[in-house]
Amino acid sequence: MASPLEQFVNNVRTSSAAGHFRDVLELIVKSDEVLQRNKAHLNTVLETLDVQQHSLGVLAVLVAKYSNPQGTNEVDKTNMYSKIYEFITNCNGEQVRLEPDLYAELCHQLTDHLIEIKQPIRGIEVLKKAIKKIQLFDSQLTSVHADLCQLCLLSKCMKPALEFLDTDITGIGSELGGNNDSKHFLLYYYYGGMIYTAMKNYDRALYFFEVVVTVPALVVSHIMLEAYKKYILISLILHGKMLTMPKYTSQVVCRFLKPLSVAYHELASTEHAAVKHRETFVRDKNMGLVNQVLNSMYKKNIQRLTKTFLTLSLSDVASRVQLTGPAQAESYILNMIEEGEIYAMINQKDGMVVFLDSPEKYASPETLCVLEQQMAACTKLHQYIQEMDEQIQVNPQYVKKSAGSHDEDMPATSQNSKTTYSM
Amino acid sequence: MITNFDNLCSELEKQELEAPNGVASPTTYAQLLAIYLYQNDLCNAKFLWKRIPPNIISSNPEIAAIWTVGQKLWKKDLAGTYQALAIYNWTEPISNIIRALEERVRERALNLIGRSYSSISHNTLVSMTGLSNEAIAQICKERKWELSEDGTTIKPIPPVQPTPLHTSSEDQLFKLTEFVTFLEN
Repeated sequence: MASPLEQFVNNVRTSSAAGHFRDVLELIVKSDEVLQRNKAHLNTVLETLDVQQHSLGVLAVLVAKYSNPQGTNEVDKTNMYSKIYEFITNCNGEQVRLEPDLYAELCHQLTDHLIEIKQPIRGIEVLKKAIKKIQLFDSQLTSVHADLCQLCLLSKCMKPALEFLDTDITGIGSELGGNNDSKHFLLYYYYGGMIYTAMKNYDRALYFFEVVVTVPALVVSHIMLEAYKKYILISLILHGKMLTMPKYTSQVVCRFLKPLSVAYHELASTEHAAVKHRETFVRDKNMGLVNQVLNSMYKKNIQRLTKTFLTLSLSDVASRVQLTGPAQAESYILNMIEEGEIYAMINQKDGMVVFLDSPEKYASPETLCVLEQQMAACTKLHQYIQEMDEQIQVNPQYVKKSAGSHDEDMPATSQNSKTTYSM
Repeated sequence: MITNFDNLCSELEKQELEAPNGVASPTTYAQLLAIYLYQNDLCNAKFLWKRIPPNIISSNPEIAAIWTVGQKLWKKDLAGTYQALAIYNWTEPISNIIRALEERVRERALNLIGRSYSSISHNTLVSMTGLSNEAIAQICKERKWELSEDGTTIKPIPPVQPTPLHTSSEDQLFKLTEFVTFLEN
């Protein structure tokens, strides 16, 4: 074994045994090059380290081992899955949480590998475990989330991702926040939106795409552009019109995204756009959603009829919303009643339909239950905001800035306050 | 006879995720697909169908037969659903789930008819429930749906909502206190 490697192993062992994990961290950063250069010996190194006791060391070795896919030999490739699986199952959570960047890197490598060998479904369980291990609390977003969503989409097995997507995020892992690039953050919400769209949970999908589009940005990313297109489509399916973007949307969105998605804006105003821009939609792989938009237009038109008429014959319904005949109108109305989108009674004998008001009197125990849930959610949100507010109030940078602005008139004190707070 | 399908469902999902090389056994796929249909979870059923490897589908005609039912359900073609259910000779353990599924579909159809028709022709009723004339007469009697004089139209009555579960006043008081303390602070 080469001597710098030996040194690395010894240092990892002694520092880990003494519980000086910070030292191990420093060591890892320094020895990256050594590990990269001695790829051939890394398997021997792995054998001398214990997954549970020297998690950080093993993590560094594994990442180095798989960092360059071309250089990895076939044997390593075939047992890559089992090696990483074993590491994620057995590693010490406390140790790896010190180095989330490297940990996430290993998960990205596994994801890429499984995509390459076209077995994405095998990674779902592993990454679920990986996320739970590195999270400090359930609602913390890590950059592994995006990998999990990607694997779920690719394997067409969406259900496992839902338990993560359904939890609203209240915190962001350190490897995602700060000055790191926002790719995995955007990807998580973009993939999440796509999963919800596939599950036909359009409300939630719209929210996810909105998050992507409203991320503060100075330049536009491609993820944002695609999310913006889907945002328009989902908004059309759900509300029949384009929702206006929230005020805090970055300026770049209006300036760059709109001109890049003209076809989608046209679809909002006229159905003919679907035919005219067919090529664009097919190229963007959004044709399925465009068809659903067209379908939902009929529904929106029928809903509009309920506002004007009390009774209408089925053939009138058909001609007013441009359906082929009373039979088609009947099936549309029946489906809408089933989905709870309208309230109506069909009289087959006379071929008439009576539109009713919503039978909901808002006096049932269910309503109370919904109200209670909503109130609980609001209370919780209030709590979070208060906590956040407190955190900001004691943030040295914030205090410095807000104190600094007042002190401009009083230069003598500003000197003082600056020295106190910059500690 | 009816076991707890929800438990079975999560067990099967786990089996699929932990399967070596990502390919589960044909019976796992078949049961899971049937259970998704039973739960009326058509989206998940559709994606399951799409991810089952083609060679498993071609060697297990039962899986394809289950999905034929799924397709009809997706298109809300009730008459077609009953036909697809009847045409195949289901084997254990699928037949168990399929029986429950058929029951469920019919129950939903009857509730829907009750909610959305003030009068319905006998023919439509037959195609939406897939039942014989005698069975329909029996159901009309049970649900007190009236047959008109000419014998071709039926007047359904909206189904009664099941009585909501009762929450104790103590529980409500607790929630109210919690809410008020939040407002006060």
